[in-house]
Amino acid sequence: MSLRILGSLVLVSLLAVAFVSARGEKVIRPADDRFAAADVQEIPDFRRHVLPLLGRLGCNGRSCHGSFQGQGGFRLSLFGYDFPADHQALAGGDSPRADVAHPADSLMLYKPTHGDEHGGGQRMEPGSWPARLIHRWIESGARGVEQGDPEFVSLEVTPREVVFTGNGEQSALRVTARWSDGSVEDVTPLCRYQTNDESIAEVDEHGVVSSRGRGDTHVVAFYDSGVAVSQILRPVSDRFGSAYPTVATPTKVDELIVAKLRMLGIVPSEVCSDGEFLRRVSLDMTGTLPTPDEIEVFIADTSPDKRSKKIDELLTRPTYVARWTTKLCEITGNSTKHFDDNAPSDEYAMHWYEWIARRVRENVPYDELVAGIALGRSRRPGESYRDYVEEESGFYRENDPLDFAARETMPYYWAKHTSRMPEERALNFSYAFLGVRIECAQCHKHPFDRWTQADFKGFTAFFEPIGYGVPPDDKKLYQAMIDELGDKGNQSQRVRARLTRAQRGEIVPWLEVFVAPPGARVEKGRIVNDAEAAVPRVLGGDEIAPEFRDDPRQALVNWMRRKDNPYFARVFVNRVWAEYFGVGIINPPDDMNQANPPSNAALLDHLTGGFIEHGFDMKWLHREIAGSQAYQRSLRANETNRLDEKNFSRAVARRLPAEVLLDAIDQATAGSAELARAATDVEQRAIGPQGGAFVGRRRYNDYAATVFGRSPRDANCDCSSSNEPNLLQAIYLKNDKELVQALETKDGWLHEIQQQISKADRGGTAIDTAALIEEAYLRTVSRLPTAAESERCAAHLEQIGDPAEGLYEVLWALLNTREFVTNH
Amino acid sequence: MTTHRYCDGIGRRDLLRVGALGAAGLCLADYLRLAEAGEVSGDGRRAKATSAIFINLAGGPSHLDSFDPKPQAPVEYRGEFTSMATNVPGVELCEHLPKLARCADKFALLRGVSHTLTEHQMGTKYMNTGNRPLPSLEFPGYGAVVSKELPSPPDLPPFVAIPKTPQVAGVLGVEYAPFSTQGTPRPGQPFTVRGITLGRDLTAKKLQRRHELLGDLDAGFRADEENSGLLRGLDRFSQRAHEILSSPRSSRAFDISQEPESITRLFPEDSLGQSCLLATRLVEAGVRFVSVDHGGWDTHDHNFEQLQGKLLPELDGGLAGLLTALDLKGLLETTAVFVTGEFGRTPKVSTNRVGRDHYPRAMFVILAGGGMRGGQVIGASDARGEAPASGAGISPDDVAASFYHSLGIDAREEYRTPTGRPVSIVRYGSVVKELFA
Repeated sequence: MSLRILGSLVLVSLLAVAFVSARGEKVIRPADDRFAAADVQEIPDFRRHVLPLLGRLGCNGRSCHGSFQGQGGFRLSLFGYDFPADHQALAGGDSPRADVAHPADSLMLYKPTHGDEHGGGQRMEPGSWPARLIHRWIESGARGVEQGDPEFVSLEVTPREVVFTGNGEQSALRVTARWSDGSVEDVTPLCRYQTNDESIAEVDEHGVVSSRGRGDTHVVAFYDSGVAVSQILRPVSDRFGSAYPTVATPTKVDELIVAKLRMLGIVPSEVCSDGEFLRRVSLDMTGTLPTPDEIEVFIADTSPDKRSKKIDELLTRPTYVARWTTKLCEITGNSTKHFDDNAPSDEYAMHWYEWIARRVRENVPYDELVAGIALGRSRRPGESYRDYVEEESGFYRENDPLDFAARETMPYYWAKHTSRMPEERALNFSYAFLGVRIECAQCHKHPFDRWTQADFKGFTAFFEPIGYGVPPDDKKLYQAMIDELGDKGNQSQRVRARLTRAQRGEIVPWLEVFVAPPGARVEKGRIVNDAEAAVPRVLGGDEIAPEFRDDPRQALVNWMRRKDNPYFARVFVNRVWAEYFGVGIINPPDDMNQANPPSNAALLDHLTGGFIEHGFDMKWLHREIAGSQAYQRSLRANETNRLDEKNFSRAVARRLPAEVLLDAIDQATAGSAELARAATDVEQRAIGPQGGAFVGRRRYNDYAATVFGRSPRDANCDCSSSNEPNLLQAIYLKNDKELVQALETKDGWLHEIQQQISKADRGGTAIDTAALIEEAYLRTVSRLPTAAESERCAAHLEQIGDPAEGLYEVLWALLNTREFVTNH
Repeated sequence: MTTHRYCDGIGRRDLLRVGALGAAGLCLADYLRLAEAGEVSGDGRRAKATSAIFINLAGGPSHLDSFDPKPQAPVEYRGEFTSMATNVPGVELCEHLPKLARCADKFALLRGVSHTLTEHQMGTKYMNTGNRPLPSLEFPGYGAVVSKELPSPPDLPPFVAIPKTPQVAGVLGVEYAPFSTQGTPRPGQPFTVRGITLGRDLTAKKLQRRHELLGDLDAGFRADEENSGLLRGLDRFSQRAHEILSSPRSSRAFDISQEPESITRLFPEDSLGQSCLLATRLVEAGVRFVSVDHGGWDTHDHNFEQLQGKLLPELDGGLAGLLTALDLKGLLETTAVFVTGEFGRTPKVSTNRVGRDHYPRAMFVILAGGGMRGGQVIGASDARGEAPASGAGISPDDVAASFYHSLGIDAREEYRTPTGRPVSIVRYGSVVKELFA
């Protein structure tokens, strides 16, 4: 009997074992059921059944045959997605592991059923359904994947949500896979399963979930390239469902959060005080402490909508622009050390910052802002090299410089020498703008996500034609201009010399970001013809249409800006959320992998949808988040939300980010003139261009920034910036020379007080130390002292006998409180 | 850089409950109070080591050109160096390690240590934790575990990194993060760690006065501590920083200029040598764990030139000095020493670049002191240094279990996250018996 006839027989038998699902679809019954009978006639499929089964048995895991060296001379592709290679490894060669002539003696059947002769031990019982399935596959010819075989379409798990009430309760998941020929199979016994928190739920190899603790998590099923999740929940108190108290939900955000809390029996904390709100929102939104005057005015304000008015006002401040420009510089990896000697690195980094800052200030839609970076190239269409260098030189001119921020695109993102390879660019890009970590798929199927090497390759192809170097079509002109300058020295000295000329108004040559023509790619800054270049393909989508071949990035940007793009808007929304709550709705905030689902999908959907609906309006997003009651909750926990750190039922204390904390120290110790400029003057601030652009340059404050965990911007991870405390930070705050300097500077507040006190002494008047103690509190922890605190501080002044020194120590102590170094 | 990927819902600021102590009814505060006593109790303790020094050879040292020479292998494998005899019969080292050859009786050499992670960061994590990295969990580095498990004097940082370390506190929480010196000492110069030496007007008495004021003003958050690992951690660091600043012990411990000449002359004047000198001094003062970072081992190009000209002589002098000085001070028995890179290097020399690439299948590890028997080679790689000579070789997990064993730490002990997730100190791996035979 030929294989083809056998194949059609199989189909008939498959239909015979199908049942009808709730959706009215025929669902093929699970393999453990179909292969239970000894006389089964069905021929299993390599991709659909054999490989998933091997995956489930752990054969292609990292510690077994999926290791890059293989194991015992037998290697499978890691997490099983290289079908030809895996088929070759099993059925190819002179003595294949799948022996069609003697199926029962096949190594792939013998070894895993006989533990004593298998390094990996016994993986299945002889005569069990998995053994039978493999046996049937071998005896029917051990067919691999062939051209025209159906493609995997999607994976679904039911139930999508399980609510337990007690320990040890169980629920069986059912997982179905859909294929491009329209067939749907119950693949429950063929999946790998994972729980995201074993202390809440466990899952066994049959997909049976058991409750292990209170709280919520997800269980994930993996099959082929599909990933499906089910939310597992068990209330943490008995106040859930109908027993849940009435909780006000003034905004859609609150409604969605409370809906989840109600299921969990978590009662949110009270709304925080006005003072707490003002400090919190000022730090999160503008990276800046409120000034004493501002606090007093806000507290005294009796209008009911003063919080939303404050939010609106903060969004107009230069500090808002600086804070979020710096965040975008962090995500896009703006650092002076990313440019090589060919580029004036400080100037590039500063231009980069200013270009983004302009757009944040003008509230340019986020998609447009990113498009300007993603499509960055030095020349406008049709612009000559000579015109380009004239313009570029003009940006550096000291007299009446041209405005770099007015450029339509920001090309320097593509000029980083730390990511010249298309693969590195693919990783940078997907991290920064999609929150997708495709590193794994560079070498093998992603273990927790759908990505395969083909996806990685297709995505990388977008970046193949992008180059940074000498103008490809005007090399001679470039060289002639260089020769004419005749500057001497090494590369960086010559670049500095060129920069100096440009600053004086001369026109000098520059390297450029360019796009290679269709059919070519860029290698080491040069255009190379490559007829076999891979066709770019967006993640999880189609190959790009031919009309984009001039600059394939345009197709990528179009895809990102589509309403149904699953990543672009979503990761930005999630990142902004995480800045306000200290934890993302998806966490870590930059990890959008399918096995890492949001803690509140409806909430993230709502915000993402709204953000797109409002034309990617960043300020809308900030208002929506900061205006919610969820954001304005108190730190004080109750019995039900004590342990909650991911469902937004209370405020969670967060150490201030490095830049914000260093600025806060400066502001708290600043003289009154400088303090008055705190909300508007960002030039010298760590959250401003100093920190936003000059990361990596040796600067005075580099030490503190490093100790407090400022992102070095050299890795594709939001976690590069750390808000964790450590011993050196504590020592810095108590005794570092910079801290002492901040306290003792001649322009500082303490110096001013000293003078006031001397003056009062000379005039024989008394100084109001109580008012100064109050001001110290307002400057640091943004509130007035309690009566007890006032007394304690007054006693300290008394004890020392010198009010100036006493206030010095009060301010020192306040800078060291947890209340100061955290946002809460 | 620390990374925090907790797909499993463990918050980055969560602290672990004290594993075994938790069961005995002690809360964290009790435990800390006990720990503040600062002494590792000798009663009933079978382990010898009370502190540890970890030398991280960042980049991945070539095993064939250092501690696992293959003089019989074809030249494209054995490379440009020959081997030399040591003071232990039958044990040979590369010719450029003469000082270590003279004190080979002081350390155990593990060969054929094997893993499969060929990328720097992953390999580094594996070798610095004893656990193959997982995306869902940040395993704590050795220093974090040791400083958690062994109490240390309150006026010294428990875990010092010279000048930095890839070991992070991970799931243990920020309290156990390293104290990084950010710089390395220079010969004969007092080495002060920034911030540790009191400013010119700041006396210990003033500091104490300020500290008391701070204690009273910082009371506002006390009620919220229970629900926030961050608030507890901040407080703990603040206390510790105060102890360190108010006692002269720390600044004295860091001041290598106070070492007698009989000790300083054992160390080369380069930064590794002086870092090793500082490490011995810190351990002597009571620091529990010192890590020393020595980079440059990523010799894809000019392998032999770099090794002979710089890397091997530095390591030879620094490590030999360390072992000898510890011995002279009578500290070798109580100090476990661990030297490793993230992997070895390809046995076959790449001809065009005269280099060797990443190769984790047959690396070496050095363990010494802390009751681990020196003067022996354990394990072996095959004839060309391509794989363990037999079986799977020694795993990094086994090395970890042994290292912890010498410190009296049970590697199988499980911590629990606040949500109850069990995390054992070393997930796999068992003690290499020969070390303690």
